[in-house]
Amino acid sequence: MFFRGPMSIQSDIFSRRLLVPRPLAKMPLPSSRETHLWYVLPDEVKSPLLLNQYLELLSPTERDNALRMNGDNLQKGALLSRTLLRTTLARYTDHKASPRSLEFVINRFGKPEVQWPCDGNWIPPPLHFNVSHTSSLIACAVTADIPIGLDVLEKHRQLKSNILSFARRYFAPSEVEFLSSFTDPETRRREFLKLWTLKEAYVKALGRGFSGAPFRHFAIQFKAGATEESTDPNSDVHPEIALSIEPSGDAQLLTADWQFALFELASSHHAAICVKKSGEMNDPTTGEDPLRLKVWKVVPSVSEEFVSGTDQVLTINGILNSQG
Amino acid sequence: MASLAATSVFLPGRTRSVSLHGQGMAGASQIRLASFTHQRRSTFFPGQASAPRFESPAKPETVEKVCAIVKKQLALASEVVVTGESEFTKLGADSLDTVEIVMGLEEEFGINVEEDNAQRITTVQEAADMIEKLVSKGSA
Repeated sequence: MFFRGPMSIQSDIFSRRLLVPRPLAKMPLPSSRETHLWYVLPDEVKSPLLLNQYLELLSPTERDNALRMNGDNLQKGALLSRTLLRTTLARYTDHKASPRSLEFVINRFGKPEVQWPCDGNWIPPPLHFNVSHTSSLIACAVTADIPIGLDVLEKHRQLKSNILSFARRYFAPSEVEFLSSFTDPETRRREFLKLWTLKEAYVKALGRGFSGAPFRHFAIQFKAGATEESTDPNSDVHPEIALSIEPSGDAQLLTADWQFALFELASSHHAAICVKKSGEMNDPTTGEDPLRLKVWKVVPSVSEEFVSGTDQVLTINGILNSQG
Repeated sequence: MASLAATSVFLPGRTRSVSLHGQGMAGASQIRLASFTHQRRSTFFPGQASAPRFESPAKPETVEKVCAIVKKQLALASEVVVTGESEFTKLGADSLDTVEIVMGLEEEFGINVEEDNAQRITTVQEAADMIEKLVSKGSA
């Protein structure tokens, strides 16, 4: 088929053993205001047989798109991205939908949504999802009732540009000031990437495209939490993430009722999630309900590992509660 | 900077089909590039409105410069062929790369790109067209 590659006898036997098709295990919906995060590491998916099976799950358009990516690794990334999304969402449908049968549409702002089949007997789950990936990690976040945005970045990613020039050009003034306060280039780079992923997550959560929410029109700040007395580095309390809309921003579109969390994922990435606050949280200053998050590492249709509470998910900012 | 070995056949205003000839580039056959037609694939990426259509296509030198900036930003191997038809996302650019590319173009050509327009550029050719339009505006 289209994935060729050197395959030793041993890996062939190994992959054959793995490839007895396993029906996808059902997954109960995330509970209220809980996020499920699923990720796959492309380096852990090597079997051409398995990759070709995944190819079968995609729509013709998705397949075409994946194959038009420039080079094997990018093609594999695109394939795994759609595979992860399809296999993950299908699990929440109580076997009513298969990965291959899911259909997606782009809403009028360009954000992908599931188009559930019309079936009088079945009410589809109210799933929100967002996908993000790098060359080494593909992630999909799912909620049952709240809009969500997700962004991941390799934590060692270098910028070609001068960070302050870049920030002055694209970020909000308070963010430029914040980045300027760091003199060590490495610290500044790290803080820049944290801001970037959080801003991306917000724009993706809003779902209106980047021209709908220019980065300059809103600012992310890190604020000490309500229990800021704790200076114990092992404490679970981390600086909270505050969002403010600049005067230049369209207050109708850019709303401030969003909650963020930033964490280290798989020891290699920063991940930011942004979810809409519920209407009941009226006073943002008195502290928020912890952002509930559960994380699994998977090889779609093959294996899964619950990694919340391990060193694969480390809170950086915001508050995470993995017990749900 | 890498030089382009591919020939891009560009028909202004009509379908843009490009066949790529990896002349004289060792290892170029490793890269499979399907022929591109001007069809916007916005399945996965929010916010991609239809491309701005500019009056005349950019000069080949401009396209080459853009290709060079893109290759540098994305750290593409020298044998990777980038042409006017190359889509940034297909080359593996994420949103941070795209913004860095635009900033690199602003610095290279001494122009200012509105964020709206920056988000609409998806191919090298579109970037080059926009650059020339902005440059000619600036010097008018």
